[in-house]
Amino acid sequence: MVEHDVLVIIPALDEEDSLPATLERVRRAAPWADLLVVDDGSEDATAELARARGVPVLRHAVNLGVGAALQTGFRYAVERGYAIGVQLDADGQHDPVELEALVDPVRQGRCDVTIGSRYITRTAYRTPRLRRLGMLLFSAVVWLAVRQRIADTTSGYRAYGRRAMEVCARDFPRDFPDAPLLIALARRGFGFLEVPVQMREREAGRSFYTFGKSLYYPYKNMLASLMALLRTPTDEERRP
Amino acid sequence: MVFLSRAQVVTALAAVLLVLVVLDLVRRRRLSEEYSLLWVVSTVIVAILGFSTPLLRALTHALGILYEASTVFFFGLGFATAMLLFLSLKLSRLGTEHLILTRELAFLRLEVERLRAAQGHPDRGNA
Repeated sequence: MVEHDVLVIIPALDEEDSLPATLERVRRAAPWADLLVVDDGSEDATAELARARGVPVLRHAVNLGVGAALQTGFRYAVERGYAIGVQLDADGQHDPVELEALVDPVRQGRCDVTIGSRYITRTAYRTPRLRRLGMLLFSAVVWLAVRQRIADTTSGYRAYGRRAMEVCARDFPRDFPDAPLLIALARRGFGFLEVPVQMREREAGRSFYTFGKSLYYPYKNMLASLMALLRTPTDEERRP
Repeated sequence: MVFLSRAQVVTALAAVLLVLVVLDLVRRRRLSEEYSLLWVVSTVIVAILGFSTPLLRALTHALGILYEASTVFFFGLGFATAMLLFLSLKLSRLGTEHLILTRELAFLRLEVERLRAAQGHPDRGNA
């Protein structure tokens, strides 16, 4: 079943409006990659639409959270022997044209994880002010914790090398895979590279981040960042 | 038997009643033995404190508490806190197990779809 060594993992929750277009765009921009949709308990036709296009779907019977959906994708990638896994949003925010730029540094061994960043260079993407403040905060948290300057800690457009995926398949945040994940990976010896990407406004559907979550988010991520810093990685979690 | 206040009598009787309710729930298999333990231990201790005034007095004095009823509430609250922490731990573990099972189901489902497709099964891919 594995045709290529790159797997594009698309977590989706009720994305029937935008998923078909996203799948088409990824196929056109990256014919050298396989696709996987992780349907995180959608109530609409998300899974059927993906299957109808020949894309394998792992469907959570109930909603588990975006982090859990990604982890499901990583486990699939590891089990099937993919060398690189890319996470890409179903809602059309992430331009598949950038896939190559994201994958290349990992393939060339320049880093373990690339992060498609909105803020390295000026892009058209506009962020709500409060969210922007949160991003600055968690950028600072990551820098304080592991001395890595990452502008866009919340970017959901990333590529992971095999070793990083193996670790993520075992241990991954269930809800927000942001600053705490980056700290945990850095503590385990994985290196990052930020790649400037263009991002668009989401096309349809709803965001994973609801109002209730926006209150919980800073608390959770602060605590989880601290814990990621306090946990000593075991030998098998460490990058060889 | 000497009681210090009506509140002590009420508390003691309520504790006994609660033990009986908990035991009955276990009998009817509505509550598992595991979860009943902390309930039984806490209510029995509160009942003992309620019915044994000398013990309650001594304990109140030893802990430096001014009013005997506070000692009973102190233990009651302590057990309630322990119970809530215990339940939070259980819930967290259940959440993890729930995630693992849901994921396992997703993988099995995909595997079934693939096997069906390989056999040319007519209704492949039905969710």
